[in-house]
Amino acid sequence: MNNSAAIRIINLSKEFSRRNMVIDNINLSVERGELFCLVGTNGAGKTTLLKLLCNLILPTSGEIFINGYNVIKDSERTRSSIGLVTGDERSFYWRLTGKQNMKFFATFYNLSSYESRIKIDELFKLLHIEEPDKRFQEYSSGIKQRLSIARALLNDSPVLFLDELTKGLDPASAKELRIFIKETLVKEKKKTVFFSTHNLHEAEELADRIAFMRKGKITADGTIDELRKTMGRQDASIEDIYDYFMNKKD
Amino acid sequence: MFFRKMLTFIKRDFLIAISYRLTFILNWGGMVTTTLTFYFISKMFGKVMNPYMAKYGTDYFPFAIIGIAFSTYLFTAINSLSNNLRTEQMTGTLEMLLLTPTRVSELIIGMSLWDFVFSSTRVFGYILIGVLFLGLDINNISIIASLVVLVFTIISFSGLGIIAASIIMLFKKGAPFSWFVSTFASLFGGTYFPIEVLPEPLRYISYLLPITYSLRSLRYTILKGYSIGDIKGDLFILIIYSLILVPISILIFKMALRRAKVKGSLAHY
Repeated sequence: MNNSAAIRIINLSKEFSRRNMVIDNINLSVERGELFCLVGTNGAGKTTLLKLLCNLILPTSGEIFINGYNVIKDSERTRSSIGLVTGDERSFYWRLTGKQNMKFFATFYNLSSYESRIKIDELFKLLHIEEPDKRFQEYSSGIKQRLSIARALLNDSPVLFLDELTKGLDPASAKELRIFIKETLVKEKKKTVFFSTHNLHEAEELADRIAFMRKGKITADGTIDELRKTMGRQDASIEDIYDYFMNKKD
Repeated sequence: MFFRKMLTFIKRDFLIAISYRLTFILNWGGMVTTTLTFYFISKMFGKVMNPYMAKYGTDYFPFAIIGIAFSTYLFTAINSLSNNLRTEQMTGTLEMLLLTPTRVSELIIGMSLWDFVFSSTRVFGYILIGVLFLGLDINNISIIASLVVLVFTIISFSGLGIIAASIIMLFKKGAPFSWFVSTFASLFGGTYFPIEVLPEPLRYISYLLPITYSLRSLRYTILKGYSIGDIKGDLFILIIYSLILVPISILIFKMALRRAKVKGSLAHY
């Protein structure tokens, strides 16, 4: 296990009740600046894993390190170095404008008034959010998702967790967001991105490395080429890879 | 940064409150009708009630208006944090706030601050309507003593509110606890009538409630101008309640938060 990894998960398990193992002994490492995709069906445990990584759920056993910080023992420093973006349109104050929402959260990320003003303008420009003074409830789904990304970038956190970000977006908006994630967040800003999705083509287009998740277990992880090699089929499509690893017997 | 965060909470809630203009206006309208109701009750039954009012040196209307105005703080303390916490759970913003490098205690204080500010304007409104239009006499008021009592009133009541919020965090519904405390406070705390009216055994319940000491000393300091020295007994009890309830309630809240994280139910509602 690499100590300098951005995300390090050691023997992580979570059960909500007896005989309901949602996360089953996961070991995983994500390098700094890597775009890592977690693929799985609905109910595989992707969101639970992301919430465990963000310390919004406590594990039953195991340890998680983000940028070297233990997420439970060093919770405050961990929180300063992560950002979470969910595909859920909730999580903002719908009666406030986009800008008011951002200013509110900027304060809680300990940004001064001056810093937050500069940062919010910069992020709105970067993410093409053109009507900052509209109420949040009046934005399109695409803009709401961009605001969600903007919020996660407020404190310039090096590690970003994106949970089914393009869910519910039209194809053009989804593509635009994928380009932004790959080109701007990862290549330009050198962020580590942990992206969960059930869209195989999205994973193929984005990921440096993919992990497949089924019933709380990681069934395989690696680059597309590594996964093809393990299968012994260099011409395997992403669907073939998915079928192979998701249906593989333990 | 603490004060900036608190001001940010107040600003957020103010902006949300004024975005619902009708509710905002109706809140004030309700205050006028409540004041008038007790004014006319006092006119009708004033003389009958006067023997009980003797120790406060006043008639029923000033007694009732102080009780109603300041018990607003109790109802705010009991309901504010739990209601706001539930709203944050429902809007999904609670998890986002918990992701920021902000202390739990800052969130607890900040989430209810606007409601206390709004309650203060209501208290001021009640008194103002009484003084300007209904002959309420507060010329004797001891401002410092009243403010000191008020501070410990809010702190001790808040402890109960944090416990109510912990129940919301765990069970998603906290109405029975809030209802129980609010009803007990109204019935036994001396809001609408002096506790001397109650049969003696029931009066022991009154003595267990912080609101009893809070309202009694506020009536003395506002209507009779008593100093801190004159109400030191009641003040001491309020301080004891504050010292016991606040740390215990914060501990209970932290335990509830941890339990919600174990159950994975932070955003459930």
